Amino acid sequence: MPPIIEVQGLTKEFRTFRRREGVLGALQNLFVREYLTVHAVDHVSFSIERGEMVGYIGANGAGKSTTIKVLTGILSPTGGRVISNGFVPYRERRHYTKHIGVVFGQRTQLWWDIAVIESFKLLKEIYEIPEPDFRKRLDVFSELLNLKEYLHTPVRKLSLGERMRCDLAASLLHNPPLLFLDEPTIGLDVVAKERIREFLKEINRTEGTTVLLTTHDLSDIEELSRRILIIDKGRILFDGDLEQMKNRLAQYNQVKFFLKDRTQIPRLAQIETDGIVCQRVDELTYLIRFDREHHSSAAVIRQIVNTLEVRDLLVEEEPIEEIVKRIYLKGEVA
Amino acid sequence: MPQADIAHSATGAAPSQSPWKFLRLHFEFARVGFVNTLAYRLRYYTGIVTYFIYVSVYYFIWKAIYEHSVSIEGFDFAHLLTYIGVGWIIRSLYFNNIDQDLAYQVIEGRLAMDLIKPVNIQFMYVARAAGEAVFRLALLTIPTGVVLFLVYPLRPPASWGNAAAFLVSVGFSFLIVAAINFAVGTFALRLQSILGLLRAKFFLLELFSGLLLPMTFFPHAVQKILDLMPFQYISYIPMLIYLGKLHGGGLARAMSIQVFWVAVLMAIGDGLWRWSTGKLIIQGG
Repeated sequence: MPPIIEVQGLTKEFRTFRRREGVLGALQNLFVREYLTVHAVDHVSFSIERGEMVGYIGANGAGKSTTIKVLTGILSPTGGRVISNGFVPYRERRHYTKHIGVVFGQRTQLWWDIAVIESFKLLKEIYEIPEPDFRKRLDVFSELLNLKEYLHTPVRKLSLGERMRCDLAASLLHNPPLLFLDEPTIGLDVVAKERIREFLKEINRTEGTTVLLTTHDLSDIEELSRRILIIDKGRILFDGDLEQMKNRLAQYNQVKFFLKDRTQIPRLAQIETDGIVCQRVDELTYLIRFDREHHSSAAVIRQIVNTLEVRDLLVEEEPIEEIVKRIYLKGEVA
Repeated sequence: MPQADIAHSATGAAPSQSPWKFLRLHFEFARVGFVNTLAYRLRYYTGIVTYFIYVSVYYFIWKAIYEHSVSIEGFDFAHLLTYIGVGWIIRSLYFNNIDQDLAYQVIEGRLAMDLIKPVNIQFMYVARAAGEAVFRLALLTIPTGVVLFLVYPLRPPASWGNAAAFLVSVGFSFLIVAAINFAVGTFALRLQSILGLLRAKFFLLELFSGLLLPMTFFPHAVQKILDLMPFQYISYIPMLIYLGKLHGGGLARAMSIQVFWVAVLMAIGDGLWRWSTGKLIIQGG
């Protein structure tokens, strides 16, 4: 079966004009405009198979949202080829959008002043959802997302977490094979995030829905997707699974250890050889971060237990936040 | 996951919209427009006062003008007063804010939320405005009408037939205004800020629709040009029907031209929409 999304050489340029400063500049702006071309997305290519859940990450302004907007038919690209679910999104918007679900975390697709259930009923008409299917899915979603209490509340009165759950349900009422989520967990508390992640996993498992999501919360990615796409300055820097990314890009491992008592503290200096530095977490807890290429975890641990009396010891991989932060800062995958 | 895929809505199938489904969907949009307007009830009470003041101002102006003449361009004072008074009453009905709605949708970056839905955006906006119009009919048009008919000696429609044709004609006025507003509103997609453009359009419509004075009061050359434009079909034509100045063949012809303009303006709006979405810039995100 061909991939559900195929993106080849996708490019989106925005032309903005540079505003000059001051009164003279403003007058000048009226007559002569200097245009700047911004490459929001620059020759991006990837493909996504049916049933995949893919995390699409990048710093602010990296081009994530632009990509999503092209894929949802909102923007037309400057160049490249996009085929999604058998359609060219921006050319066949009305046909295409019938078979996708979209959630923009920062906005709602529900009608602001009417009850949630009224919005759902309107969506039923828009997507021509048969009554039994509509009832069935509404029941399932109400159960999974716990929507029952506020189905009759106008959207403007919902909290962010409640609204997001309603938006998520709204995007899936017509059971689309493809779901786009732009920062679906933005601003949500831990419990609300967890509930949304569980829901997405469930839908992906039972319906085989393909999910592409952008996020700044990397735990979304760790929980949901095996595959990760990293974009920076409009270019794809990494495309592969999470494990692969860790193996390839993690530079450090860290060992966290807990001293038995205070008498051990003076002996800490003894293990600080060969470029190993102890970082203090609290009085009895210390952290050693070491380059994976120069030191093996085993050697470091041996050194620690031979020198010090420790109560407990933990070996951790470099947190994915750290890896990603390094990628954003460097703008390339080393 | 091939077995899961069968359960999904079929890919590639065109949205097969039967006329019945189309009507039902747009009735739903109208209902949402109606319900949404409920939140802004207060605006309409002040609207009644505003409309009353407008008509009163014109009443005194025209009264002064008619001091020295019985009839101007075929209108005696009673006719003209009715023309102005009823003209403002129907304005409260056909008036809509589709252009502003679109402009704010773009400014606030909410247009994306319209675009992700498999609907004809123009029809959706017009249907929603129609729902608002029904709301205004109850809270603004009828109360304003009652007040104005009580205070000023406005005449009833020329005949029952004219009254019926007048009501249908006002329906077309609504569609013409809605289509113009949508077409103008699409410029927001390219220009970002169109509030100046909207003001210009507002005054153009006031003047050329015949709301402020009948078309026959314009110089002949201007009339000739305006005859070829849709604007006078918004207010002037329905008012001629009301006053009984149009009947038989003339009436049928005038209303056919209204329908013609609805179709042409909607097609223009649709074209502009397609042209604009090609160059769309969504704010934020």
